[in-house]
Amino acid sequence: MKVKSLAKKTAFYLAIIVVWQGLYSANIWPPSIFPSPYNVGQTLWYGAIDGSLWLGIGTSLWRLAAGFAIAAFGGIALGIFMARVQTVNETIGSIILGLQSIPSVAWAPLAIIWFGLTDAGIIFVTVAGALFAVTINTYTGVKSINPDYIAAAQNMGAKGEQLITKVLIPAAFPYLITGFKQGWAFGWRGVVGAELLFSFLGLGFLLNIGRQLSDVSQVLAMMLVIMIIGIVIDGLIFKRLEDKVMARWGLR
Amino acid sequence: MAKLEAKNIVKYFDHDGQPLKALGGINFTVEEGDFVCLVGPSGCGKSTFLRIAAGLQKPDEGQILLDNRPITKTGPDRIMVFQEGALFPWLKVRDNVEFGLKIAGIPETERHQISDRYLDMMQLSKFANSYTYQLSTGMRQRVAIARALVMDPEILLMDEPFAALDAQTRDLLLVEMQMIWQKTKKTIIFVTHSISESTVLGNKVVVFTHRPSTIKKIIPIDHPRPRLAEDETLIQYQKEISALLRPEVKATEEKS
Repeated sequence: MKVKSLAKKTAFYLAIIVVWQGLYSANIWPPSIFPSPYNVGQTLWYGAIDGSLWLGIGTSLWRLAAGFAIAAFGGIALGIFMARVQTVNETIGSIILGLQSIPSVAWAPLAIIWFGLTDAGIIFVTVAGALFAVTINTYTGVKSINPDYIAAAQNMGAKGEQLITKVLIPAAFPYLITGFKQGWAFGWRGVVGAELLFSFLGLGFLLNIGRQLSDVSQVLAMMLVIMIIGIVIDGLIFKRLEDKVMARWGLR
Repeated sequence: MAKLEAKNIVKYFDHDGQPLKALGGINFTVEEGDFVCLVGPSGCGKSTFLRIAAGLQKPDEGQILLDNRPITKTGPDRIMVFQEGALFPWLKVRDNVEFGLKIAGIPETERHQISDRYLDMMQLSKFANSYTYQLSTGMRQRVAIARALVMDPEILLMDEPFAALDAQTRDLLLVEMQMIWQKTKKTIIFVTHSISESTVLGNKVVVFTHRPSTIKKIIPIDHPRPRLAEDETLIQYQKEISALLRPEVKATEEKS
């Protein structure tokens, strides 16, 4: 079954490349607008050799990791606070959904004014993108905990920090993972979007360089890399984490 | 001396924004080492009474005294066993059983010694490393009982713990529950909707009236253990309790 699925995927991607090459060979558009798969591959290869690609990937991933870590920590804290304290939910909670609807890159102008063209500014945009998704899912998760779990834990003497770390967080964990999955994806968009505007290293910067040089291969190559990183992070980290948690919680 | 004393406990439910008097002044006493079963029509507030005794809810009037001190908050001296067990699905059986000990900061080797003893008593030793979803409902309730017993509470509060079990498993656990009580000499308050269960387990059966409920009668069950539900003497008791409950159930039906 797994082999079959892999074969299907391989065939699909090969077909894309074949069609792409076919369109290129048909000479409908000039190569400066529509490059061949080979051109894009060559751009990636050069980038890998001179190290600029790795620097770009490394820089963007660093920013993502830093922003995501802050958002995950803050989002969990805020979500629990909202779920457990009625007043917090009625006040802060009411604007979280509104904040969530702001596209992460719309935070970039504010970040530039506050932090200048720095890493901190880009990380700020990433946090703004990821934080509210984690918050909302944590809130929902804590609200859906079987009240008997909390009563039983309190009955056995758990309170304060112990109640949070030993009951609330593990009980809400399946929801936290949903929050992480959404949060990192929003955060990743934030990183790339901010890098486009900040023009200060990273994959978004390399993408913008491609546009400035009218190098369409560079543009497509960077988009490809951004997408592949998305697939890898989701599949390698979050999908695995999710499977593990679902199995352990007996949800599957 | 009275271990636990309920003094005029009154509790209102919120019924679509209207206060509904559920407990209308509950008074009774539980002696040290008693096995007291509470029976009553559904919705009469017997489970609520248990939660008040556990300190998980507050009464609107009156108070419950434990060793002459009023109960104000929840604590491990009164451990509750929930109807659905309320076991933590993210923990293995052993970690579930040791949860309260860990909260109390008891070191690992000591925790293991204590949990081993109760896992053995509840015949759970070979499931120590299983997750709770891998167990049958009956096994899960054994884990819940073990988790309560490790805390060595003054009083064990059990809220219909066998209600979701099939008949065979329940019969087995009824026998074991009597042995646990005899072995540990715990004071137990046990809420049930099953009259036969109450006569098998309790040395006192407390019969609640319909809402706003008060105590209708307290019946001491005088019969040697181990008891079985079909014992002749117990059937006489069951008939008596049934007769007491019939008008209460009828009144409850008519109200809803």
